[in-house]
Amino acid sequence: MTTEGGVQYSKIAEIKGPLVVVDDVENAAFDELVEIETNEGERRLGKVLEVGNGKAIVQVFEGTTGLSISGTNAKFVGKVMEMPVSKEVLGRVFDGLGRPKDGLPDPIADKFVDINGEPMNPEQREYPKDFIQTGVSVIDGLMTLVRGQKLPIFSGSGMSHNLLAAQIARQASVVGTQDDFAVVFAAIGVQYSEAEYFRRSLEDSGALKRSVLFLNTADDPAIERIITPRVALTVAEYLAFDLGIHVLVVMTDMTNYAEALREISAAREEVPGRKGYPGYLYTDLSTIYERAGKLQGRKGSVTQVPILSMPSDDITHPIPDLTGYITEGQVVVGRDLFRQGIYPPINILMSLSRLMKDGIGEGSTREDHSEVANQVYDAYSRAQEVRALAGIVGKAGLTEIDLKYMDVGDVFEKEFLSQATDENRTIEETLGILWKIVSQLPKNEITKIKDKFVDQYYKGK
Amino acid sequence: MAPNSTLEKSIDKILKKTEKEILLDLENSSLDSKQTLDNSLPKLEQGFDKIISDGNKEANKIEKQIIGSSELEVRNKQLLLLEEGVDKVFSKALDQIANADRSGDYSNLINTLLDESTKILGVTEVTVFTNAKDKDVVQSALSKFSGAELSSDTIDCLGGVIIKSKDGTMTFDNTIDTRIERLKPLIRKEIASKFGVGN
Repeated sequence: MTTEGGVQYSKIAEIKGPLVVVDDVENAAFDELVEIETNEGERRLGKVLEVGNGKAIVQVFEGTTGLSISGTNAKFVGKVMEMPVSKEVLGRVFDGLGRPKDGLPDPIADKFVDINGEPMNPEQREYPKDFIQTGVSVIDGLMTLVRGQKLPIFSGSGMSHNLLAAQIARQASVVGTQDDFAVVFAAIGVQYSEAEYFRRSLEDSGALKRSVLFLNTADDPAIERIITPRVALTVAEYLAFDLGIHVLVVMTDMTNYAEALREISAAREEVPGRKGYPGYLYTDLSTIYERAGKLQGRKGSVTQVPILSMPSDDITHPIPDLTGYITEGQVVVGRDLFRQGIYPPINILMSLSRLMKDGIGEGSTREDHSEVANQVYDAYSRAQEVRALAGIVGKAGLTEIDLKYMDVGDVFEKEFLSQATDENRTIEETLGILWKIVSQLPKNEITKIKDKFVDQYYKGK
Repeated sequence: MAPNSTLEKSIDKILKKTEKEILLDLENSSLDSKQTLDNSLPKLEQGFDKIISDGNKEANKIEKQIIGSSELEVRNKQLLLLEEGVDKVFSKALDQIANADRSGDYSNLINTLLDESTKILGVTEVTVFTNAKDKDVVQSALSKFSGAELSSDTIDCLGGVIIKSKDGTMTFDNTIDTRIERLKPLIRKEIASKFGVGN
């Protein structure tokens, strides 16, 4: 931070969507923060997208509604957007641009950090391998989250992904260690009622004191959504790498982020890519997702659970598609299960945590975890096939073993998958239910688990 | 007598048979009940354990809620008090700046501010605005800046200058107020550390 201020320019050439074009600008820098002052003295923030030929294109975060060419001034502040960070941010609620929203003063900053972050040196990255317990059986048991991982949740409109996001934020913890744990929650373009639900949910559960909330509601300017995940991740990185805290960042809904990006891209008249999203959508998303990880010699970690709603439940849509290329697996929320009233309606056959194998087993969860999870995965897959078959030939046409698999499917959905929104299951409880499912099968059907574990945990006859 | 004796024998036989059957039934029922009781005991124990464990979980949850929200409430009150303290220090400091003596080093400060502003704007043809108190100091300092002229309009500020290019397209605010505003987060931190916070 310097004492030098910036020059204010009053020659606005054009206002186009969320962009303001300023004329006769000298010495502006790419990404530089700009204060736009309206006729009435109102101040809005923006950043420089392009400079050259004496012009600067400024993207106004709070929108350009009400701005006019005459009387509007643009002050180039001389620095990029920074977020004040300190341990004090824990337990605080901010808006999408990182300004307090809880009626309390600005946090006393320990330092000011560029919200774009610094890319992690690949050489310094540490491979993620420590388990995070979310208390949600289906995630902990079958698609385990590990510290430093980025595991997105692919959902659809109207489904219960926000309930799941809040539950994970409330319940997540690191087990078997005294290390500190914090949650950074970024709500991007959510409805007011949802934002309030997130806030109340964390407050009522006592989890707010270890959380930081960034709430960008649907009626906030779309352009603010570009900033929200970045300020959230800046705080997360500070907590993780400066203070040594394990941080889980939950971001919902990344689709709204991509929509905002598309809006800016269209206003800049860039050549559109798939479905009108900019061609650099992949690169842009990676600047967010790649901020997850662990660093050698640093105690903390940043784990990301971005949530995105797939338009028309289309998993091939550019947003889930490109997200899937960058992240390490995906948790898919299924429409069929949701319609059956199952919560959380996670379709395990389409879901996967690529780093699960490194975060489970002896010393992390339990030595039989991997095998019992594989067996249940296999059995549920078979149950689905049998259900499809029963739809054609009827139950009477099924063999005794087929019927057993149907039972497995039912027990799986009723006892393992279904969970109350305030039910926090330990990993031991989760593994116990997995064994209950496996125990529905005769022993000779158990092919993926070592005999010693079958002898120890199998409860069937 | 003979027919009666046969009848009695038959009755006795039936009675004995029925008695035997009833006793057997009773014995079976007793065994069944015992079995049922034996079977339900582990279930009962399981149910009991579940109730205790659910109760403990709920108690832990409520404990966390109460402790969490109380800690947060205390911290928030502390933050508000701290801010109140910082604001008081700030307003006292601003009062002192506003009433500071305009002689001596102050003209050097104005010189520096003017020099910095014209360099940043990159033009010498500028109009300078200042407050009523600083007008004389600024006027005398302007002799070193050819092309710069002092506006007859005054501005409301603690001190310092605002410089505007003569075509009106560029402005640079170098008032003390703006400089303080810019540095406010750092000054707040300094003041808070004097209160023993944030060290």
